[in-house]
Amino acid sequence: MAKRNSKKLALAFFLAPALALIIFFFIIPTLLTIWISFTNLYNWKIDRVKEFVGLQNYKDLIYFIQHDPDVEKVVKTTLVFTSLTLLVNVLGGLALAIFAYLIDERVSLSFRLLWILPRMTPIAVFGLLWYYFFYGSELGTLNSVLLRLGVIDQPISWGSDPSVQPWASWLIIIFVNGLVGVSFGMVVFYSAFKSVPRELIVAAKVDGATTWQIIRHILVPMARWHLVFVTVWQLLSLLTTYPHLFVLVEWGVVDKNYGTTWSLYVFLTAFSKAVNYQALAAAAAVILVIIGAILGLIVLRVMKFEEMIQPPRGDV
Amino acid sequence: MTLLRLLRRSRRARSEWEEPLVKGRKAGILILALLLASTPIILSYTFLVVTSFANTIVFTPFINFKITWTTENYKMFFQGKLSPAAGQVYSTKDILTFIANTFIVAAGVTAVVLASSIPAAYAISRINFRGRANLMRLLMLLHAFPGVALIIAVYFIYIYARSPLYNALRDLAETGLVSKSFLASFDLAYSFFFVIVARASLEIPMSIWLMKGFFDRIPWELEWAAIVDGASRFTAFRKVVLPLVKPGIAALAIFAFLAGWEDLIYVYVFLPEMTLATFIHNQLSGGSLETTYLPVVAAAATIYLVPTLLFFVVTQRLLLEAVWGGLKG
Repeated sequence: MAKRNSKKLALAFFLAPALALIIFFFIIPTLLTIWISFTNLYNWKIDRVKEFVGLQNYKDLIYFIQHDPDVEKVVKTTLVFTSLTLLVNVLGGLALAIFAYLIDERVSLSFRLLWILPRMTPIAVFGLLWYYFFYGSELGTLNSVLLRLGVIDQPISWGSDPSVQPWASWLIIIFVNGLVGVSFGMVVFYSAFKSVPRELIVAAKVDGATTWQIIRHILVPMARWHLVFVTVWQLLSLLTTYPHLFVLVEWGVVDKNYGTTWSLYVFLTAFSKAVNYQALAAAAAVILVIIGAILGLIVLRVMKFEEMIQPPRGDV
Repeated sequence: MTLLRLLRRSRRARSEWEEPLVKGRKAGILILALLLASTPIILSYTFLVVTSFANTIVFTPFINFKITWTTENYKMFFQGKLSPAAGQVYSTKDILTFIANTFIVAAGVTAVVLASSIPAAYAISRINFRGRANLMRLLMLLHAFPGVALIIAVYFIYIYARSPLYNALRDLAETGLVSKSFLASFDLAYSFFFVIVARASLEIPMSIWLMKGFFDRIPWELEWAAIVDGASRFTAFRKVVLPLVKPGIAALAIFAFLAGWEDLIYVYVFLPEMTLATFIHNQLSGGSLETTYLPVVAAAATIYLVPTLLFFVVTQRLLLEAVWGGLKG
């Protein structure tokens, strides 16, 4: 009996801090977001959280999607951005991993490190790099190079010139987020390739397989679960994260609406001084929470997660 | 540096067996292709650092004007001058405060992440309890679900919790237990506390997974022996297991620090004072290249980038393995 109690005590001691944080910053906020979405909270007048308006915010949201051209653009941007960046991240990550696997390991290490740098770079610094790369006058890198090569004879404002919208803005956000996201696939695929038994590769080579055949028939099939995992995981993070988009939009690198995805729309609706409509933003966030939960459950399935939660060997 | 030694040891000896698949000219072509694909990354970082040492924005490989190399931008930044023509917008003390704020947030996030996720990871790795499997499922779900989407509710809690805390402190100040000056700086302290805890929480699911991976690699017989010899679980944890996972703790600390260091959204929303991130953000939002003197911003950004690069060089391989958060189990 004393032993049972001491085990409980130990558990409480070890788990309490993390559990408290998870409850305060994940569980309660999720429930609170759902709650707020049924109220009339705006301008952060927190007493309004008691004013229930039923499904009004959701109805408004559906109305805006259908009739507000700005929100329509946001929805379109979300679909285009998510699907194309996903493609870039998964296929680009696969290509990088294959290239890195084929060449000398020490050379590949420096490339893999280089590609992971954008992920570790502070968001404000990474935004700054592309701020003047895509700047709309001849001061921007892209404009200056294109002018020099004679492709264009007038600098183009990539983020605001209506004649190049929406694709200029879309391509910029896909490019910038692609650079950050592609390393995830690269790292996962590379470690999957590394765990392929070397005997298999050597045997294939002895049998006369070309490098392409080794890639096509050994490496990629071996990494198929990783492919599904990376796809779902990236889909989830592309839908729900927005910090890089936030700086691109706020700094005017891209068009406000054609640079805003659904999750940034949530953030701006709640926090920009001009809108400040938290209830509506919460309703928009609930949609994200639902999509996130579904995709998260798929991730659990795909990872064959049950194998990873076996009881510990060394319980006393 | 234990970490470095560990990394060096993990670098296996090369054998014929591990020769690269592609050699010679073909390898040259592959490497060239990789280099070509990497040019935007290489160039953009180079331009940033070069601009921070130049009297003008250096933005193109075709330079047709003369650049004067100077450390003037860094001087101006620390003097709080945002361009050569402008006067001091900030004092040197302000600028140092921005840097210190960035550091406080990063260090705070590190402390919170370490203190909460190391014990939790240990419990999950070692103790079998009811709900363990569900807790692990939950952690994985939360790891997959970025908490930035919940920021509205988190900000709501931030406002909601402030007034009772403030009132309680005011009562304490009246009794003299807390000084009046602390009450005055309460808002700032509260913001710092909140931004640190909230930002750290985002990292916790991943950190627990990462740390659990390190604990799983330690043979449990070691602490079992300690417990049989009469040590309590806490003593075994502190004296036997913790010293063995030092490299893991170092890795975790670095990741947590970088997460706090790079953050923009949370400090932007919760912190009334500026950090390096919000400083750069303020220079560029609503401004334009014509009015913003970019070399000074580039100097600030380069300073901001230095700790990241330092950790980057130190961790190398570990970084590559841990990007997917110790998901390998």
